[in-house]
Amino acid sequence: MRLVWKLLRQHISAPQLAGFFLANLLGMLIVLLALQFYKDVRPVFSQEDGFINSDYLIVSKRVSMMGGTSAFTPRELDDLGRQSFTKSLAGFTASQYKVACSMGIEGVANFGTQMYFESVPDRFVDAAKDQWHFRKGDEVVPIVLPRSYLAIYNFGFAQSRSLPKLSEGVVSMIDMMVVMRGAGKEARMKGRVVGFTNRLNTILVPEDFIRWSNQEFAPDADASPTRLILEVNNPTDDAIARYMQQHGYDIDEDKLQAGKTTYFLKVVSGVIMGVGLLITVLSFFILMLSIYLLVQKNTLKLQNLRLIGYSPARISLPYQLLTVAMNALVLLLALAILRWLRGYYMEMIWAMFPTVKDTPMWPAYVLGLVLFVVVSLLNILAIRRKISRV
Amino acid sequence: MNTIHLDHTFPEVFARLDDLQSEVWKQDVTFEKGKLYLVEANSGTGKSSLCSFVYGYRDDYQGTIDFDGHNIRRLKSGDWTRLRQRHLSLMFQELRLFPELTALENVQIKNRLTGFKTKKQILAWFDELGIPDKVDAPLALMSFGQQQRVTMMRALAQPFDFLLVDEPISHLDDLNSRSMADIMIEEATRQGAGVVVTSIGKHMELKYDKTLRL
Repeated sequence: MRLVWKLLRQHISAPQLAGFFLANLLGMLIVLLALQFYKDVRPVFSQEDGFINSDYLIVSKRVSMMGGTSAFTPRELDDLGRQSFTKSLAGFTASQYKVACSMGIEGVANFGTQMYFESVPDRFVDAAKDQWHFRKGDEVVPIVLPRSYLAIYNFGFAQSRSLPKLSEGVVSMIDMMVVMRGAGKEARMKGRVVGFTNRLNTILVPEDFIRWSNQEFAPDADASPTRLILEVNNPTDDAIARYMQQHGYDIDEDKLQAGKTTYFLKVVSGVIMGVGLLITVLSFFILMLSIYLLVQKNTLKLQNLRLIGYSPARISLPYQLLTVAMNALVLLLALAILRWLRGYYMEMIWAMFPTVKDTPMWPAYVLGLVLFVVVSLLNILAIRRKISRV
Repeated sequence: MNTIHLDHTFPEVFARLDDLQSEVWKQDVTFEKGKLYLVEANSGTGKSSLCSFVYGYRDDYQGTIDFDGHNIRRLKSGDWTRLRQRHLSLMFQELRLFPELTALENVQIKNRLTGFKTKKQILAWFDELGIPDKVDAPLALMSFGQQQRVTMMRALAQPFDFLLVDEPISHLDDLNSRSMADIMIEEATRQGAGVVVTSIGKHMELKYDKTLRL
């Protein structure tokens, strides 16, 4: 092997390999950086609150002076579902019975109110599965509250009555008594606030709970949805706003803007990643050309090695190892530079948006590894093919 | 591998020659393992072509060549690799050594592939062939005659059933061709191999089982 290498390293062009190395490093770095930057910056724009993905739009009917129902008919649902911008669609399901709720600390009820529950299919809710579930017979129902409710309490109600202000953490510890009445039955349950959302102005409970409780307390009621949750392919699509306008539906314009920003970020990151990939592909061709040239210059040596009994696989090995080693070095260096650059920009992001969570880096690692494996395999095959033809 | 059989084989360039006088071309010739053959030829009669056809790196011939009854045109790249490592060795007339390597390295590049000889055995050959001082010399600085001896050592650094030597002593004096013939015959006898020597006049003085005029 040492002797074969001594022969085959003849005519290796250091400038060509350096060119490949830099180009490949640049390509790889751009691809990984685009991915990582997208992942890191996305939460800043989308203000994810952990429960409802901000890419979803909430659609309701405009309430008019003329009255009429605000529920969506199956036909309207069907029509919306068939629009080209719609990716998936689901209705909110509201509780059809009376709900009263009281809050208290250590069992002493402080205040109570009439209220209602709503649910959306669980796939639209980004809550941890171990918190967000309900089965018949459970004593406790998980609840997500709008963040604005807490603000109303803290800055309006508590302020004027000299009551203590509550943090989100404290509210999560408070017992909430839920009393449900309907169809001649009454049931008491505990509610536990598992989180808050900016996205929905409703009191959200798991889908299974609403299904069970409606069946139990209002078996005959009509449960046509009055609000819809809509996942779209492209939030910048003008067709969405046009359609909503024509049919007199309301969407949260504000959220649509956030969706547009995220979409824009996605497109820009995608384009940059594409450029990175292109550079990687080009660098791959530089390497292949360099190796082909090398094979061409060493043709006689390669032929003679074949004639004294070396197999094509064995002659290919030095060049294959060379390229794989270079690819591996590129990967390691790209990841190191990525970490360093990320540290740099994350400091700025955290300075501006202290609440943004740290995103894991493994997707970039995995992508880098995939690129490394794909490029290396292609190199190995191309070299083997070329040498077999000598 | 026990026989190399040429059945009406001849180089394509000879196709238009009507008066081809040869004991090999267009004849039925069998080389057997364990025997020693001399193929004598004038230049231009296709001596190196014969070696390259049998060794599988040219196929511009008509007729058939088979090893133990298997037509060699059907052999794949992997088969040739195996044959050239274990069954068939050729000492090239044009040497095909590597000028970037030293004399010893030129032998070792084959020997490391086959793991056939120890370094000590190879150094003993250098002694016998009278070039012990050239072991570590860069090949480029050696004369053609010295290089021929290196080529012979390389050809012997592997197990083989047949050894083809293409004009081995063209640049050697009698003494050196004698010692080269000695180590060649010693190795071939030890392995029970068949040997085919080609020559254009000057040839190794050996007890040939058969002499053919090409």
